[in-house]
Amino acid sequence: MKCMKCLRACPTNAVFIQKDRVHINHSKCINCGKCLDACLNQGLQSKGSTLVDISNYDYTVCIVPSSMISDYKTHEQVEELFYAIKLLGFDEVIDISDIEGQVTKEAILLSDIERGKSLISSFCPVINKLIEVKFPMLLSSITAIDYPSEIAARQIRKRCSDKGKVGIFNCCECIAKLNLAKYPYGNHQFEVDHALAIVDIFPIIKANMGKGKLPVTLCKEGLQSCNPAMMMLAENHLVADGFDKVCNILEHAEFGLLNEFDLLTLFPCFNGCLGGNLLWGNSYLTKNNIHQLCKAKEKPISDLPFEEIYGESTIDNVNDMRSIQEKLVFFSKVNQQLEKLPGFDCGACGFASCRIMAEEIATGKKTLEDCRIHRNEVIQDESK
Amino acid sequence: MQVINQQFIVERDDYANAGKVSSQVKQTLNQIGIPGELLRRVAVACYEAEINMIIHAWGGTIQCTLEDNGELTLTFKDPGPGIPNIDKALTPGWSTASEKARQLGFGAGMGLFNIKRVSDHFDIQTSPQGTTLTIGFLVTS
Repeated sequence: MKCMKCLRACPTNAVFIQKDRVHINHSKCINCGKCLDACLNQGLQSKGSTLVDISNYDYTVCIVPSSMISDYKTHEQVEELFYAIKLLGFDEVIDISDIEGQVTKEAILLSDIERGKSLISSFCPVINKLIEVKFPMLLSSITAIDYPSEIAARQIRKRCSDKGKVGIFNCCECIAKLNLAKYPYGNHQFEVDHALAIVDIFPIIKANMGKGKLPVTLCKEGLQSCNPAMMMLAENHLVADGFDKVCNILEHAEFGLLNEFDLLTLFPCFNGCLGGNLLWGNSYLTKNNIHQLCKAKEKPISDLPFEEIYGESTIDNVNDMRSIQEKLVFFSKVNQQLEKLPGFDCGACGFASCRIMAEEIATGKKTLEDCRIHRNEVIQDESK
Repeated sequence: MQVINQQFIVERDDYANAGKVSSQVKQTLNQIGIPGELLRRVAVACYEAEINMIIHAWGGTIQCTLEDNGELTLTFKDPGPGIPNIDKALTPGWSTASEKARQLGFGAGMGLFNIKRVSDHFDIQTSPQGTTLTIGFLVTS
């Protein structure tokens, strides 16, 4: 297949096609999943762990995020869901809405301390990676708070230290979280052992629904934290969802236009985590469900000390070791090559833009003859 | 040798495209991989100056040059009407922006002051025939 849909969809130009195969440049990839959404032929897929892995552990725990719960309207159904997940073979099924509630609150507290800095909340791995790749000047604005699933996993590890080999599984609502557990970046001591794609386990869960109940209490603040429209807003907080809008906000922040806001909470998916691409429900319906669920009996937000939720580095510190001089020389070289290329960004060479092709030529990985348009012109000149 | 030499045209009262040039300049500098803190200063200064051109001046041209020794220069040239009192214009909070500009969220009176604050080199020449603002940065690792 040579549709190049993934090449066009990638917001960071991380996708390239060589010899009819799609490759991903991992230093540029932000795990947003746009290439997978664009792929018409299921040629590109992101695979989670499988339930077979459960048998490798003495004690297994499954973490359920609020966005997964959002598919059910009543508290009884949520309790059935937890029992259905337990039937997959887990010893424990854990709801983390209390921790989600705490990190949200903690981010607001942090932003109140550091007023005027426009902190950016760090709960979405896509946003963290996006800033690293496209908006590096905002790196210092990301709050140093870990992902809720990670915080939960650390607590489980501590609590279950006497239970032998503990396996922690995280149900993931989006590709970013799936990849975060599979190929952790930045945060090197990753506690989640396996990531399960919710769509993969959905058929079995559906079959198990109604077989029993597991008592659960949910935390309202945590449930609300997965949707931008439901987050408690103060006048100095900004919440945005949708990839383009988020990029626009980050650009504004770079120009120093958002200094009046102390905290930016950004979701690259429409309707926040409820719009995760591994969920099956319509995100507007699930938003309504969350509203209903918030009326049920409440669990208070967790009360973990700050060092437990602190995430030292949520981002990769890929240091470009080249000096400014070397960077400038390389940039000039790329520009020289770019002038020889047609500039249509046609993608026929397999790279998303002529600039990337020019970089490849400058590093010697490709030659000018690999550009189809350039080669065509040479052939035409020769035949004259 | 010049690593970058780019020219842009800015139209008067073109609020719809406000910030596009700054975006491009920023993108180019990002491609080189210059450090984030410096990039931020350049972005803030360039944006402020570009907006000034749109709301106060009758449009103009923006030139961005980067020498291979790391000297980055941004030159903003407009055809008028000039700044009557340059000392006042450099005072934070002092603004002559039109009502239309203020309604759109511009014209807080911090522009020139902010540009001077973040740049390494600052020079402004003004007359009724036009204003030339030159700001410089030193790109180091």
